[in-house]
Amino acid sequence: MPKVGSYRANSVIYFQGDLADRIFVLQRGKVSLNYNDIETGKIIREVIQTGEFFGVKSALGRYPREENAVVLEDANVLAFSVPEFEAFSTSNTRIIIKMLKVFSNQLRHIHKQVENLMSNPSAVNAETGLYRTGEYYLKTRMYSQARYVFSRYMTYYPSGKMAEQAGRYLESAEAALSRYGDGKGPAPVLSSSGTTTKDFAAASPAPVFNTVAEPTTATASEGASLSDVAKDYYNAVSLFSQEKYKEALSAFKTIVESGDSSEYLAKAQFDMGRCLFALGQWDLSIKHFTSIIQSYPKHPDMADMLYIMGQSWDKKGDQAKAKAFYNKVLTMTADDDSSARIKAKKAINALGGA
Amino acid sequence: MADLAGFGRFARTYQAGEIIFSEYEPGDSFYLIQTGKVRITKIVGDIEKNIDILSAPEIFGEMAILEGAPRSATASALDIVKVLEFNRANFEILMMGNPQIALRLLKVFTKRIYDQKRRFMILTLDDPQAKIADVFLMLDETQGSSIPGEDQGDKREFKVTVDDVAHWAGMNSSEVQALLSHFSKQRRIDLYADKIVVKNINDFTRFVNSKRKK
Repeated sequence: MPKVGSYRANSVIYFQGDLADRIFVLQRGKVSLNYNDIETGKIIREVIQTGEFFGVKSALGRYPREENAVVLEDANVLAFSVPEFEAFSTSNTRIIIKMLKVFSNQLRHIHKQVENLMSNPSAVNAETGLYRTGEYYLKTRMYSQARYVFSRYMTYYPSGKMAEQAGRYLESAEAALSRYGDGKGPAPVLSSSGTTTKDFAAASPAPVFNTVAEPTTATASEGASLSDVAKDYYNAVSLFSQEKYKEALSAFKTIVESGDSSEYLAKAQFDMGRCLFALGQWDLSIKHFTSIIQSYPKHPDMADMLYIMGQSWDKKGDQAKAKAFYNKVLTMTADDDSSARIKAKKAINALGGA
Repeated sequence: MADLAGFGRFARTYQAGEIIFSEYEPGDSFYLIQTGKVRITKIVGDIEKNIDILSAPEIFGEMAILEGAPRSATASALDIVKVLEFNRANFEILMMGNPQIALRLLKVFTKRIYDQKRRFMILTLDDPQAKIADVFLMLDETQGSSIPGEDQGDKREFKVTVDDVAHWAGMNSSEVQALLSHFSKQRRIDLYADKIVVKNINDFTRFVNSKRKK
């Protein structure tokens, strides 16, 4: 049974670094979770509401506490062991669903922060990566795998920069599969014109699993279906990555004008502004983002939009306005995308400080 | 195992060798294994590297909740595999009726959040050498050294390649190669084809702490 604990004001329920084995619910009083922001080092104080759980992630994940749980006003706290919490929550599924939503938002947020810091010059974009994966399977005579990957490539990037070659490879994979079967036949010769940088001339290693004698069922090429708007969106992103900004702009515009209610609409709107910026249309880019901000003050890409607007003013030579926008990025709450903040800080420094 | 009757419409079957999803493919669904084994691989250079082998009732592909993010690895069936396929639109229905699965997913998320935060800490270090040292500290914290049950003092052995370290540090391989050689010359690490040995993990801890801004 979970136990009730009483804590005096100014006492500490647990310290950062403590081994975590319990999950708490605040019943009465006031508790604050204090920790340093991983990015700025600033101390964040998060006040827990009565009825709210805390200490969940570290206890479930079995890693050390990431914050100090400080009692601000005399408090009663219900403490669950992990098995007690599991028993309790599985009979109150809504609690888990609510936590899943909170955690998946946190995961999205931290993932985005990480992505934005990954300025890895050797990182491949998704389109090239998918194409190379197909090449690898073709080269190692894993034809059904190659067929799957190239057919996915053709689905997502029908007008991609490697689409023509991917189509040919898809045909060779089909042909080799029906003629020789997986893992058999002469090693296919890959054209050297692609974007591959690896030396594929070396003897291909034996396929790891090639015991499937019968041709694989047709399901391999079907795969998981993606909605039409998702395909349109990825295709537009592909155009953008090929620096075909005009084509990308009109592709994103089509998605926005379709009035589709999915999350792709917001993304496409944001990307239209990026296209305008990339095309050097600073005024249009500013105008576009301004209208998004007016109609969607809670747009998920707000910080990035403000940053690009700052850049647009910068390009137009209006450093004061540019700084104003960079500063706006900085004043956004910690919950907003803080990698834009890093970029904004750098930009402000480049302009000679705030 | 949770009661999964009524979820037949989400069921998918894959034959041995068949790909469930490919690395770099955009994904919007994730999977719960019912029977069979799923192999998770990544193509690194000229080889397809095994990352993991999963079986029932594990969940994979859950990063699909990150809209539009490409898959970070390939999942394929090792034998006949039956899975339930979910996406953001229908996962709540599944979770409501199956708290055990919801709880499992919750645990997977706590782990991912921790991993990503840790990774963020590496990337925010300015000093490239410190980034690399911190990659080893992270590996030590999360997966432990690869000699289990052996009292090895401060020495740690990691089954990683230069490319792996470069991936975690967000740096390019040639730069990482140069810095690792430098560490090796200083006799702080030993480089092998299939592993890297850190001679004194505490030395790296002190080094990283001295470079981390307050």
